[in-house]
Amino acid sequence: MTLLLGAFTIGLILSLLAMGVYVSFRIFDVPDITTDGSITLGAAIAAVLLVNGYNPLVATAAAAVGGAVAGSVTGVLHTRFKINALLSGILVMTALYSVNLHVMGRSNIPLMQARTLTSYSEKAGQWLIGANDFNLFGWRVGAGDAAVLVTALLAAIIVGYALYLFFRTNVGTAMRATGNNPQMIRALGANVERNIILGLALSNGLVALSGALLAQYQGFADAQMGIGMVVWGLASVIIGEALVGGSSLGLTIIGTILGSVLFRLLVAIALRWGLNPNDLKLITALFVFAALVLPRVMRQMKGRPRSAA
Amino acid sequence: MLKITGIHKTFNPGTINEVHALRGVDLTIEEGSFVVVLGMNGSGKSTLLNAVAGSFRVDEGSIKLDDRDVTKWPEHRRAAMIGRVFQNPFSGTAPDMSIAENFAMAASRGKTRGLGWALSKGLMDALRDRVATLKMGLEDRLDNAIGSLSGGQRQALTLLMASWIKPSLLLLDEHTAALDPKSADQVIELSKEVIEKDGLTTLMVTHSMQQAVNLGDRIIMMHRGQIAHDFRGAEKKRLRAEDLLDCFEEIRRREQLDESAAAMLEQLYI
Repeated sequence: MTLLLGAFTIGLILSLLAMGVYVSFRIFDVPDITTDGSITLGAAIAAVLLVNGYNPLVATAAAAVGGAVAGSVTGVLHTRFKINALLSGILVMTALYSVNLHVMGRSNIPLMQARTLTSYSEKAGQWLIGANDFNLFGWRVGAGDAAVLVTALLAAIIVGYALYLFFRTNVGTAMRATGNNPQMIRALGANVERNIILGLALSNGLVALSGALLAQYQGFADAQMGIGMVVWGLASVIIGEALVGGSSLGLTIIGTILGSVLFRLLVAIALRWGLNPNDLKLITALFVFAALVLPRVMRQMKGRPRSAA
Repeated sequence: MLKITGIHKTFNPGTINEVHALRGVDLTIEEGSFVVVLGMNGSGKSTLLNAVAGSFRVDEGSIKLDDRDVTKWPEHRRAAMIGRVFQNPFSGTAPDMSIAENFAMAASRGKTRGLGWALSKGLMDALRDRVATLKMGLEDRLDNAIGSLSGGQRQALTLLMASWIKPSLLLLDEHTAALDPKSADQVIELSKEVIEKDGLTTLMVTHSMQQAVNLGDRIIMMHRGQIAHDFRGAEKKRLRAEDLLDCFEEIRRREQLDESAAAMLEQLYI
């Protein structure tokens, strides 16, 4: 049960990362690998501030701002200096590796002693329930674990809803159009370059927020924690699209959250069944590859009998 | 009012693909005038339109719109004053977004876009009424993705979007060339209506002699990056499609003559 609870919590925390990847990959059509660096950046900033006794909310917010700055650097490289989007992301991700080590001062910061959002949630949960654990449908569930799950759920819902509302404002609508048809929105007076920079800042801000929460949940920040995270986000987005089907804005955001949770659950189950953790990234990459290729193969299979008729 | 003075544009200068697309174009279009631009492929008519829209900077000369010098303005800044319909029906709309959202962006053309709701109630009501006048049954489908519509419907909507906020200048770039004849007629009728209703200053590029004769109050014929003919007033009214064809034929013949004369001179003297 603890395992399941943990999978749900991490899935929800990483849904913020998935929403960030949704913004860059689906709305702006840029596979932004800055993600791998900015999730670590978020964790690093939050960890350093927490260890120095800052309020966890302040530390988490600062992490999101840091991620947004990293994203806007990628955006500037891409739009102002006309560097290919993928390469801009790679450059910033590589640079961030050093930046992260500088921020942390070493390659790993433990947060076991620090007061974090996790420790606050746990305390609040134990206080509310009045015991260290309680009975949920016959399982013993730690009150602290449950409270952390609820916190993660709240975070995912608040961020998802805020994102939904933002993309329905004038500026948000113009940003969606920037990814959909830049020529059109330029002719309607929007600064396409500025919108892309803003979009990548938003995306990486969400990713860093996810990193800050993840560090507080797992109790440490590590310089290596970002490797392969963009692919993880892509997998969540793709699963989410398959889950909800529709292409409306609200549905895809809900789908992205569900996709992230479902993917984490599948991974937890696979690991439980004896999947070698070393193979995890390989499996994730293969999964995304299959998800990208299968729809085309399916279309061809469907198309064949029709063309024969 | 649009005032173009001596603009030049060379694409890919210094390479084998060098094209001197505009060679000193002077053109003044009065407020409320509807000018049709004709010309053969490569004559520079679309380049002229793009120069005005700001798709690129001109090498020489100046472009003034409503007495403001916009020569150095980027495209998105000029868009505050310019409404535009492209040749490709896919260019003027965001396909994955709804009809209403596309209009919301047109309703904020050239304004600072803030955190207000894109789909305000006032906009939706006005939109439903305006789209209903198209008699295409689209007023009940405002939430549908615009990509699900036909090319003709999309061009009609793009035209309404371009004129939702009254532009100082409306640019129509062969906006019916990609449509079937019936849709093309519908879009032309709509263009006429939209332009006449607000007395829009319009610059329209077309390949169709018939459209050129039927529409507008002035015809400009482009050739090799320059204005070869300028018909206006009573002359424009008398003009028939055949006269325009003759005009083209004459340009072509003169060109051939130039070439054969050059070949002859070459043979004689070199």
